[in-house]
Amino acid sequence: MTRTRPGPVKLRRDVTPKSDSDAVDATLAAMGDAHAFERLYRGHIGRVHSLARRMLGDDEADEAAQDVFVRAWEKLATFRGEAAFGTWLHRLAINLILGRRERRGVQRQRYLEGDGVLETLAGRRSAPEASMDMERAIARLPDGARQIFLLHDVEGYQHEEIAGMLGLATGTSKSQLHRARMALRQHLDR
Amino acid sequence: MSDQWTDRLSEYLDGDLTEPEKAALEAHLTTCAACRETLTGLRRIVAQARSLEDRPPSRDLWSGVATRIGVARGGRRLTFSVPQLLAAGIALAVLSGGSAWLLHPGPARVTAVQPAAPGTVPVATVGSTSAAERSYDSAVDDLERILAEGRGRLDSTTVRVLEQNLALIDRAIAQAQRAVAADSANVYLNTHLAETMRRKIDLLRQAAALVSAVS
Repeated sequence: MTRTRPGPVKLRRDVTPKSDSDAVDATLAAMGDAHAFERLYRGHIGRVHSLARRMLGDDEADEAAQDVFVRAWEKLATFRGEAAFGTWLHRLAINLILGRRERRGVQRQRYLEGDGVLETLAGRRSAPEASMDMERAIARLPDGARQIFLLHDVEGYQHEEIAGMLGLATGTSKSQLHRARMALRQHLDR
Repeated sequence: MSDQWTDRLSEYLDGDLTEPEKAALEAHLTTCAACRETLTGLRRIVAQARSLEDRPPSRDLWSGVATRIGVARGGRRLTFSVPQLLAAGIALAVLSGGSAWLLHPGPARVTAVQPAAPGTVPVATVGSTSAAERSYDSAVDDLERILAEGRGRLDSTTVRVLEQNLALIDRAIAQAQRAVAADSANVYLNTHLAETMRRKIDLLRQAAALVSAVS
């Protein structure tokens, strides 16, 4: 079955303009150089923290972002440079954040919420601003749809990858993404 | 308003429809204003999602990370033996000389006025060959010799990673030197070159320490 794929899209997770210097710092850090690791931290904390904040919310973002860098330090020896350091770190962050969500008891059922939950999004708007900030609108999405929207549209993962990460059918990922987009559209167009 | 195609619009947008499905939906779009409007809205959402800006945390989290990994006071996991300290000493001498060289005032030089970040050397410029530059080159040669003599004692993966990274740094230094040659007054380029050279020293120093550790 032929799919009508658009041209290559540069994904956020593949944007690694500092990859050469990162690779050097990763090597130094793996040897125990804390200054090199701090440079890596400074270069990537914004992305990691934003990911954690969007996936988990403000309350957990700081701790989750710190967890990511602590785990990265512990696992630096496994970084072989096949991928850019930023890509390696991002995947590590995704795994940790999804694990944290599981531990806090987010149930698979969340991904199967019906249309009603999503379509009440616009009605839950708390302030009469003319336009709602996109970040705030995303935060108001139901949990499961938010994860899929973030992973696909913000982070650039494909449905097959998302389905693997979350233990869902690819079709569920696609339908939840569409519902999330529709809810955001309705909300932001108000 | 929605119809049988509304729920397929995201798949269309993402290129996930088969050719026959795509053709059918595009035919539908020519007659359905509601679907065209919805598609425009979905495109806008996707574009906004891709352009979301990352932002750093509201407070500095590094100190917490540093404490948890045991480097809160700038410590390192490695403890250096006497030979390692010798190697590190060479590097420190080079850094001192290199800094002096890079900061040396002169008519053909540019001096950066930029605060030093932790772990960085506040350097700025590259001018003509000087004693300090020769000192830098000499120390690089010394460290490379230590690495060359000891590489047989390192495992092949370590050697490969070191060589890859040294090649990366050399490439970065060459690029930076070309950039500085073309725009010698550019403070950013000069600082970048100096930082890249410092990283080469850092890496060579660590490599020399590794060699000494397995001697």
